[in-house]
Amino acid sequence: MPPVSQTIRVTVLFFGRLKDLAGHAEDSAEFSDATTIEQLFALYAARYPELAKYRSSVVASRNQEFAAWDTPLRSGDEVAFLPPVSGG
Amino acid sequence: MATLPHNDIFQLVREPIDTVALAGVVRAPEDGAVVTFDGFVRNQSHNRPTLYLDYEAYESMALTKMREIGLQIHEKYRIHRVAMVHRLGRLEIGETSVFIAVSAPHRAAAFDACRFAIDTLKRTVPIWKKEYFEDGAVWADGEMPPAPAATPRAKPAS
Repeated sequence: MPPVSQTIRVTVLFFGRLKDLAGHAEDSAEFSDATTIEQLFALYAARYPELAKYRSSVVASRNQEFAAWDTPLRSGDEVAFLPPVSGG
Repeated sequence: MATLPHNDIFQLVREPIDTVALAGVVRAPEDGAVVTFDGFVRNQSHNRPTLYLDYEAYESMALTKMREIGLQIHEKYRIHRVAMVHRLGRLEIGETSVFIAVSAPHRAAAFDACRFAIDTLKRTVPIWKKEYFEDGAVWADGEMPPAPAATPRAKPAS
């Protein structure tokens, strides 16, 4: 039996320079098919081309843990795109 | 104050950090040393005079990462207690942005743990600072946190 298609709804957070480029700190996104963090970023990079330039220096997190770009999203996830950190 | 195993303290605050109080909180009669790190706002960046800094954090994750550093230094070094506090929002020149105090029976462990804690904080805790100058503002250059390169794949059934 094929798996039943389910809507995947995630919260997306932007910080630092990425927040400035995206124009907001928080968004929500919905998908009907399996989606990875990489694909989620690509969606925003297409919408805000400035974001794409920073891809190589962005680190992603899923539910407050650093995550690989090929991580599949699950409904309810909180994904954040983080520029290089500069605390201290 | 939030306390955890070992009675450690991890906080993000928007008010000035009471460094003297924190250094006192971690010390106990069985200790012989407290090592502290006081990071404060410098008056210039790359030879440009700084007006002030503005810090922001991914707060829930930053606290998680700070607690992880605490657990790591308890595992690596023979220490007693840790206090680690980072301030957020607008900070003026000379104000403390981050303060770490580590107590231990002997000084070497306290020095090593405090150094490891601030170095790891600067590399892994999601906090960012924006530097304000006379002619504008920039996000400070930062460090890339270590992130997994790829998700581990489930082994195919044999």
